[in-house]
Amino acid sequence: MSTTPNDFMAEGEPDQSRSVEGLAVEQVGSATTPDRWWQVIWSSKKARVGLVILGIYVLMAVFAPLIAPHDPLDGSFTPLQQPSGEHWLGTNTNGRDIASQLIFGSRVSLLVGLFGGALATAIALVVGLVSGYTEGTIVDDVLSFVTNVALVIPALPLIITLVAYSDTRGVWLIVGIIAITSWAGAARGKRAQIITLRNRDFVTSAKFSGESGARIIFSEIMPNMNSLVVAGFVGAATGAVGAEAGLAVLGLGDTRSVSWGTMLYQADAQGAIQQGLLTWIFAPGLALALLITAMSFINFGVDLLSNPHLRED
Amino acid sequence: MTGSPLLEVKNLEVRYEPKRARSMTAVQDVSFDIAPGEFVGLIGESGSGKTTLATALLRLLEKPGRISAGSITFDGTDITHLDQDELRDLRWRDLSTVFQSSMNSLNPVIRIEPQFRDAIEAHSDLRGEAVSERVRELFDMVFIDHRFITSFPHELSGGMKQRVNLALALALDPKLVLLDEPTTGLDVVVQHSILENVRKLQEEKGFAVLFISHDIGTVLDLSDRILVMYAGRIVESQPAGELLREPMHPYTKGLLGSYGDPRAETVRITYIPGRPPDLSLEHQGCAFAARCPEKIERCLTDYPELLPRSAGDVACHVAQQSGGTRHFDGPEFVKSADDSERAREREVVLTVDNVTKVFEKRRGLKVERTEAVTDASFVLHKGGVTALVGQSGSGKSTLARMITGIDSPTEGRIVFHGPDGDQQVSSFRGRALRDYRSHVQMVFQDPYSALNPTKRIGQILERPLVNFHGLKGEERRRRVEELLETVALTPSDRFVNRYAYELSGGQRQRVVIARALAVLPEVIVADEPISSLDVSIRAEILELLNDLVQTHDVGILYITHDLLSARMLADDVIVLNEGRVVEQGPALQVIRDPQDDYTRTLLDAVPNPF
Repeated sequence: MSTTPNDFMAEGEPDQSRSVEGLAVEQVGSATTPDRWWQVIWSSKKARVGLVILGIYVLMAVFAPLIAPHDPLDGSFTPLQQPSGEHWLGTNTNGRDIASQLIFGSRVSLLVGLFGGALATAIALVVGLVSGYTEGTIVDDVLSFVTNVALVIPALPLIITLVAYSDTRGVWLIVGIIAITSWAGAARGKRAQIITLRNRDFVTSAKFSGESGARIIFSEIMPNMNSLVVAGFVGAATGAVGAEAGLAVLGLGDTRSVSWGTMLYQADAQGAIQQGLLTWIFAPGLALALLITAMSFINFGVDLLSNPHLRED
Repeated sequence: MTGSPLLEVKNLEVRYEPKRARSMTAVQDVSFDIAPGEFVGLIGESGSGKTTLATALLRLLEKPGRISAGSITFDGTDITHLDQDELRDLRWRDLSTVFQSSMNSLNPVIRIEPQFRDAIEAHSDLRGEAVSERVRELFDMVFIDHRFITSFPHELSGGMKQRVNLALALALDPKLVLLDEPTTGLDVVVQHSILENVRKLQEEKGFAVLFISHDIGTVLDLSDRILVMYAGRIVESQPAGELLREPMHPYTKGLLGSYGDPRAETVRITYIPGRPPDLSLEHQGCAFAARCPEKIERCLTDYPELLPRSAGDVACHVAQQSGGTRHFDGPEFVKSADDSERAREREVVLTVDNVTKVFEKRRGLKVERTEAVTDASFVLHKGGVTALVGQSGSGKSTLARMITGIDSPTEGRIVFHGPDGDQQVSSFRGRALRDYRSHVQMVFQDPYSALNPTKRIGQILERPLVNFHGLKGEERRRRVEELLETVALTPSDRFVNRYAYELSGGQRQRVVIARALAVLPEVIVADEPISSLDVSIRAEILELLNDLVQTHDVGILYITHDLLSARMLADDVIVLNEGRVVEQGPALQVIRDPQDDYTRTLLDAVPNPF
């Protein structure tokens, strides 16, 4: 019986009922597949520009040793040379090649952007989703309290203090510090979002399917807010790039590696403008501005994910 | 029809042309008139284009939709291409509307009176006290107490909001009111009273109405004339009486076939198999041919024009030739009285014993007590269906929550007679709740929200198998396919990798049922499983549930507000009113010979076109 629940149809004219049943079961999949998220992002002109620029930066960072004409820390050149075929952007007061420093500097910015953004997003997701899902319980109270504290602590002085007192100023320390000071706002957003989703029937039905709480949060609910997660990540990564540069400009960067921020710090400290070495200060500044602009452009595309109405304009 | 029509629609075509998807023609070659004071019903299932037609008539279409051909003439003015400023004069004064989602169409931060005042002052010379007077008059028309005039919208119940919207639509004595599913989402009893109200007002005031609904039962009583819409076209137009006596288009017959008289000894209701065509694809011939039991060769190649026949117009080759029968020759679900007798002799699987549930809410120093359920007792039989009937707020859902172990009763007890002996059901937690769920499962009201949109059907169905039965690999895959076949989603491999959005409402609900069956439960609680489905396919789901009861030996608690479906499915009916069981007994007996006034009210509210 279980295979032919429609056997009542046999009552009618046999040929006809078979064709009717055939239609009843075959008509699936005619609905158009909604665009995948990358297609949506790519559909925005601004986001395309942003992605292309970001792509160039990524290539530059990955193939830095091949592209850069010199070792960025090699101080054996004549200092204060103007741009030439040998030194595309000239050399600085320490006799280092500015173009090579600029190319290698993209590595730090992108690493900090990627990992700082990812770590901040991950913390925000775990804290926000768990506290929202358990809204009204002690777990939520504790997590919300922690979030609120993290929100009101002034981030910049905290970062400066933390970095100033740590012995090793590696890239990973910067990544970690940026992540733990910037997740709180996003966590609140995620909490609010999961509260609107957790009472949907599909969550209740997952409970009836015997799913555990963690699985419901991260496997059932989270995929439904992908667009927000992506938008949150792009925002956090942009913030992290800016924060790393800011710290380095203040002289709190990793002194052993080259980044745009440390370039700016040195250029400022050594009086690049007075010495007429404009490329030393403008090149890293423009590189940073362009990267952050590109990431903001990508966010225009991400906006289309969460608001389909924008896709028609 | 005498004089010039109030609204004249000619060859209207509406296209949606989104940038990143196939464009589609949602409304195609639609022509009809509405005479002053006429009440016209527009019927069609979801996706037939009726709401698009309504938005086009109101000139509220938004990108990517646009009127691509044809004209709309309202009261002698061609409004097809009038710009928005010129439309402002006309809107609300001559042409007003009550929207489908009018639960949210009142501004939540503004009191009711200023919202009326805005509309009235913008279009008339009334000012000050005269406006207040008019508002009071309007509130009298829709039977709402004057004290609500200064309330905020959230202080009103759903039914009251809808009445307020109706009053607002009538504020300026418009010539035409467009009602787009104004009562969808409201309680049956409330729905019934609002529709009565609309009809009375229309008779008194003499405005014309275009009433859009998917539920032919509600419209038949009200309308002078009915338009039936399918796949973006009008397929039949007839005066209501004639349409009921002599439906011409097979689709209309199918819609009418979804109703039956719950009091009859044997009830037959038909359903239309399949789903409406995808309007973004090219079609040849009649759009309904694929689902039509009467189709002939010609239907597959030539599109039937809408041509006059007997009292109206019909777009059907078969109807134009012969007329055919009144009966829809599609699949049919039959329920006779003696089926139920057998079920009542089976063993009891769940006992609800004098259960009372009190909710306490602390307000300052006082504790407010609300009795959601009072002293309810009934049993569920193995292989039987018990229907819990009542309007919203009657305590149905509270009972369901207690039976599924989410809440525990304040007094009394619920006992589950499972395979491992008797077990008292109270609010289980953790492990115990999980174990209990391998015996008691649930089917949800809205299949659109009960399936996770990011998961494939196969993934959805295998989770309970993994969690409760620990199945893996090949065995699990086989069981998933078996489940899909049980709910007639065959061939199953076509469905395993689908997402829910690729399925129709009926198919989704079958997936929800399959998931509930996966753990081989003893009890299934079905919470209004058909109320959000199109009328034309409801019988299909009822029939499936009926089959499952018999083949899988589960006991179903069927929660509903609709006595017809209760009669079709249930062996026993329990009528709940304000938390109390007011009547209980064999389905046929309760429905034929209701003892309680409340049961009679519910029975009257069942749309019965016959």
